[in-house]
Amino acid sequence: MFNLNHLITISIAVLVFIPWLNAPFLQLTLAQTDADLFESKIRPIFVEKCQKCHGPDKQKAGLRLDHKAGWQNPGDRGAIIVPGKPDESLLLKVISYNDPLLKMPPDKKLSDQEVNAIRLWVNQGAVDPRVLNDKKVGSISLDQAKAHWSFKPIQNNFDLKGLNSKPIDFFISQKLKEINLPLSPKADKRTLIRRLYYDITGLPPSYSQVINFLNDNSPNATEKVIDQLFSSSNFGENAGRRWLDLVRFADTAGENSDHPLPYAYKYRDYVIKSFNNNKPYDQFLKEQIAGDIYAAKNPTPSNSDQIIATGFLAIARRFGHEIEKEMHLTHEDAIDTLGKSLLGLTLGCARCHDHKYDPISAKDYYALYGILESTRFPFPGCEPKQQPKDLVSIEISNLADPTIIALQKKIEKQKAELAKILVEEGAFNQSLLASIKTPVLLGKGVLKDGSEQDIATTAIEGNLPICVTTGQMIQLSLFPQKNHGMDSTKVEFVIQEVDGKRQLWNVKTDLIDVFLQSNPAKDSYGNPSVWAFFDCNNGLRLLPETLLDFQKNIGLNIWRNGDTPTVFVNASNNLINAWTKLPSRSFFMHPGQNGAVSLAWFSPINGKITIQGNLKDVHPGGIDGVDWKLELFNANIQPSFNALKLLAEKKKSLNIELVKLQQDLPVPQLAYAVAEKAGKNIKLHLRGDPERLGDEVPRRWLEILGANNISKPSASGREDLALWVTSPANPLTARVMVNRIWGHYFGKGIVKSANDFGLRGEVPTHPELLDWLASEFIRSGWNIKHIHKLIVLSDAYQQSSISSVNGLEKDTKNDFYWRMDKRRLKAEEIRDSLLFCAGDLDNTPGIKHPFPPESTWNFTQHNPFNANYDHNKRSVYLMVKRNSRHQFLGLFDGADPNTTTPLRQVTTVPTQALYFMNDPFFHLEAEKLATIAFAFREYEKIVNTLFQISLQRNPTESEKTIVLSLLNPKADKNLTIKDWASVARLLLASNEFVFLD
Amino acid sequence: MKKISRRSFVPSGVLGSILMPGIIDQLMASDNQTSSLHHPAKAKSVIFLFMSGGVSHVDSFDPKPKLISDHGKKVTFEHPETKNRPGYENIYLKKPDWKFSPRGKSGIEVSDLFPNVGNQIDEIALIRSMHTSHSNHYNATLGMHTGSFNFSRPSIGSWVSYGLGNMNKNLPSFLVIAPQMPYAGTQVWSADFLPGEFQGTRVAPGNEPITNLIPRAISKEKQVQDLSALDAFNKIHLGTRMSDDVLKARIKSFETAFGMQSEMPSALDLSSESKNTLDLYGLSLGQKDGFGWQCLVARRLVERGVRFVELIHTGSSANWDSHGNMADHGRLAKEVDLPIAGLLKDLKMRGLMDDVLVVWTTEFGRTPFNNTADNKGREHHNWAFSSWLAGAGVKPGITYGKTDEYGIKPAENPVHIHDFHATILHLMGIDHERLTYRHGGRDYRLTDVHGRVVSDILS
Repeated sequence: MFNLNHLITISIAVLVFIPWLNAPFLQLTLAQTDADLFESKIRPIFVEKCQKCHGPDKQKAGLRLDHKAGWQNPGDRGAIIVPGKPDESLLLKVISYNDPLLKMPPDKKLSDQEVNAIRLWVNQGAVDPRVLNDKKVGSISLDQAKAHWSFKPIQNNFDLKGLNSKPIDFFISQKLKEINLPLSPKADKRTLIRRLYYDITGLPPSYSQVINFLNDNSPNATEKVIDQLFSSSNFGENAGRRWLDLVRFADTAGENSDHPLPYAYKYRDYVIKSFNNNKPYDQFLKEQIAGDIYAAKNPTPSNSDQIIATGFLAIARRFGHEIEKEMHLTHEDAIDTLGKSLLGLTLGCARCHDHKYDPISAKDYYALYGILESTRFPFPGCEPKQQPKDLVSIEISNLADPTIIALQKKIEKQKAELAKILVEEGAFNQSLLASIKTPVLLGKGVLKDGSEQDIATTAIEGNLPICVTTGQMIQLSLFPQKNHGMDSTKVEFVIQEVDGKRQLWNVKTDLIDVFLQSNPAKDSYGNPSVWAFFDCNNGLRLLPETLLDFQKNIGLNIWRNGDTPTVFVNASNNLINAWTKLPSRSFFMHPGQNGAVSLAWFSPINGKITIQGNLKDVHPGGIDGVDWKLELFNANIQPSFNALKLLAEKKKSLNIELVKLQQDLPVPQLAYAVAEKAGKNIKLHLRGDPERLGDEVPRRWLEILGANNISKPSASGREDLALWVTSPANPLTARVMVNRIWGHYFGKGIVKSANDFGLRGEVPTHPELLDWLASEFIRSGWNIKHIHKLIVLSDAYQQSSISSVNGLEKDTKNDFYWRMDKRRLKAEEIRDSLLFCAGDLDNTPGIKHPFPPESTWNFTQHNPFNANYDHNKRSVYLMVKRNSRHQFLGLFDGADPNTTTPLRQVTTVPTQALYFMNDPFFHLEAEKLATIAFAFREYEKIVNTLFQISLQRNPTESEKTIVLSLLNPKADKNLTIKDWASVARLLLASNEFVFLD
Repeated sequence: MKKISRRSFVPSGVLGSILMPGIIDQLMASDNQTSSLHHPAKAKSVIFLFMSGGVSHVDSFDPKPKLISDHGKKVTFEHPETKNRPGYENIYLKKPDWKFSPRGKSGIEVSDLFPNVGNQIDEIALIRSMHTSHSNHYNATLGMHTGSFNFSRPSIGSWVSYGLGNMNKNLPSFLVIAPQMPYAGTQVWSADFLPGEFQGTRVAPGNEPITNLIPRAISKEKQVQDLSALDAFNKIHLGTRMSDDVLKARIKSFETAFGMQSEMPSALDLSSESKNTLDLYGLSLGQKDGFGWQCLVARRLVERGVRFVELIHTGSSANWDSHGNMADHGRLAKEVDLPIAGLLKDLKMRGLMDDVLVVWTTEFGRTPFNNTADNKGREHHNWAFSSWLAGAGVKPGITYGKTDEYGIKPAENPVHIHDFHATILHLMGIDHERLTYRHGGRDYRLTDVHGRVVSDILS
């Protein structure tokens, strides 16, 4: 009898030379305890092969195999399992198909290895730690979840002493023996160096780099190149791009008007820098989840990067028209991305109900949701609120400077005083409002988008004179409709005294030239405080802020409160083309988002007046216009108003001082990053609907990974989250990352579903290799470059990509790695290589994108942000939009900026061929390559140079014939750059250029 | 007819790549083929007419006499577009601006806004009880195309192409003729997680309707010479790599692209069309834009075997979004009414109505009320609107579903956009519950977990 017990003690060194032995590797190298045996072998067999009919759902023949007591009850035919006595156990009989009556499982016999494992386990006493536990995590039983490979601890007790091959090759060869295939021979040196350059840096080698390598016969020639490539900054750009794929990086927010994120590039650069500096992976993740919290504890200049790192969360997609209303979707995006990219778990599936297949409950989801809800996300701007806010200052460097500290204290004091006045003003306002009797409505109307309306004819019937007494107020208010974005309205407003002196008040002639002098303003007769401009949101407040020649438009002068509401004039004699066309010598009003803006006239007379006016929407194309109202306030409110005026003046002078003080502060450096908010738990959203709330869910870690509670309820919990994710006890994080690095080089993961390590994901093709890499990753201090290097130094990686009939027959998909797979260059690699071959590549780091200034933003779903900023830097630095994809990157299967991309698809479509045939950029780069080669003048040299730059080799004779066929029938000396460009195009469009062996 | 099974990927020697059966059909096969997936298909192709901005149903296809008699009557609703909106505290019914009258033998009432389409009403199955889940252009447009109102998902044209492959190896299977960008941008025709092959290719009127379609070589001969050289060069490279389908597919793709260079312009070249045909679409000789051009090109594309042709009228601005003045509907209807009627007539004359499904829709309707009865415009209204189908497999000359007396909500047989999608897929031989794609650990489908085939309108 085949005794496994005995085998466990045999050392590896012997085993390697025993070709007949195909037993799984782990049994041979691990000194297993009885419990280990149960966990690693027996539990999975029961879960996968038996419990469907003998578990919590069904108990055929009354038998349950999902807990110990289940099999301890004897059945009709005696004991199921007799510990220590396999031959007396019915179980062994039926699974060995030795029982005449019963064969289990009925559809397919267990493998000999499985039967033997059960025999051994029974023989050793059938140690079974399971008690009856119908507990479920998500929709599946805890038992089933624990049996799933990815939730089991990472095996880390590999004994690889005495191994005479590299560990990776040992694991790969071990498995290859199952199909009796060896690794392919090593790739030739030119193939290898091209592979290494592209895989590590994303760029091709130069011809001279290839030649140097070919001529270097030293034993460590390859390692030298590898070390050099890993220390090149191009490594970080290439590895960083893959990370950016994973975290669905984009430079726009993705809501209905796709607002730009001018600071997102800092996160992009942080990622690239982190890979180049070989930042330990656990630290890299911790910073991305909670970097701002670490930076606050230890504010040094270099720690500002930690704040930028939280861009990982901040760049979560925004949704809809008013993005605050759709934050539950943004949180889903953040949770889903965190789950898939860091843990290989599809956490987003648990938003509406417990996960259907994985041990993730809706409570798990809302436990994490609470953490995000306790985190302040930056506001990128959206259609109703164009300007960004809640960006995070990264001016940590100056915090320690005493003069800055003093300055900041002063500013705080000033702000406090201002706040006090605001409160006072507010209270005064309320009492003022209360003292005013209900105003008389003189007229109202709706000004449709793009239209014009007379005030007098539509509002005041017959334009009858109105009696006024001194101090009474007439107010024209403009209200926003649904949207206040494109509501700039030209206003004409004239009040004429009917009798008496027949005085005339015209907002235009009274105010345009003296506009910014004061609010309230005097009239042309010298009466003080006749005109005033109010923010009508919550009482009346005089518009406090002035802007002269706004955005360098001479004569565009503004009174405003924040962004809006505003009252403004074009005092120049020219039309101003700012956010819209503003006619010369005109007066304008623009309501605020949440309330009206008003123009008030305080009567300086006792008498009769008529009112005339006209409103015109000067910014057509918005979704709506404005509503307006004209009212007369009967009481004499001027005295109270004067008090208000005093407060306003005080406020204004405080504001001016404050601005001056703030000007002395260094220009704030901002990041699109998150910050802490007051911590709070949230209530579960029933069926994912944020309006249907269930029970409160405490913030905690996923139940299947420990269910740890957050340590400080007043904080968001992100600091805990960072620790949970990166805990070495977490079986997922390290496995997921080494699987990705493996996938970077082999094009597929050991677990092919790289973003899904759950029950519906793929199982690892090489589980021991995966665990060895994961344990090595943790052991090395989460050293990313170490894992990269282990892989590229392996024979498995360095083997040839040439197929064999034998290999194809036995393993078409190359799951056993009997050869290297060819791969097509990625979109970025194609573009970068074209630039490289044309001598056009600007191989310097990226910079920020030239977005228009925030103050000019007016993006709508009708006219969303949709610019392109091209440059000759590497493609990782191209600006990425969420709502309209970059055409080239889209054509060649670039990453989807709206969701995490674990691996690029490769499609072959005719529109790609059209690119290589007809694209102007492609033609241009080919001509530049031809120009470089043409400088060598001689036919032979030109041909060789073209080949050397594009393919890093010289042409063969048959290829020379093809080249000649392109150039015929022209005589040699008449050949022009244009002729040579067709040869360059041939090479740059060739399969050899686009595919890597 | 060859049966192909979807979701059986053919592994390739080049890593990370999968060859979908559809791609192999297109790239490797020489003969055209049609296929149906789950049950016999009624339609081989779809022409999807999308009116962007929100067409008012009560002014076009949904007559409401009570709306006229009760004009100015105050009504109360918790409507998404008027709730909490200043100036909209009160809302009043507002009568249509166009007169309805019975058309055709069926006597179905259509307004004077669409007199020509009205004359074709006997070809049409009119759904008067459509509704959708969002009152914002962006979200409703995304919903009508992808079944998702917030997230990017594959477009209906991509799903159909994925399910059925292509019938012409020289043309993309999903073409979108869009003079301007629609709401939600390229997401409207995106394949999203489906392979890039199934993404819609945008055709824009102008000098280069498809990107990189115009040969840049100095002559056709030169391009043939270039491509022959490339072919020879690639075949040398293929020498030791014979097992590799993707290398072969890429070699083949240049041939296909070359074919597309002539096939596509010829599809867009209307010079062979008779004066009578041009008149049907209201086109003048040599005209290369306008909705009539879009419609005639669509007919020529389905004739050439393109699976899914979408025509967008017009884009994200200057469209049917008549908040300010419904009179604008008149201008817009004049642009599309005659061409759409012409398309239906032309398809019928050519016997194509048996193979082609024509779909007419918009993202939502417009409110039968406003904040004053005199308000000239109408607001967004996702509670009810009208759409119609015509052609292959569709019962002609019928109406389905009803709205209430004012056209505010469906009163009978409501049809949600998911039901609409399920019905279109059904006509293409596809069971909407079985056309799925595994992505991110989940099987996705166009109709999510919803959708009901509206079998009453099937012939």
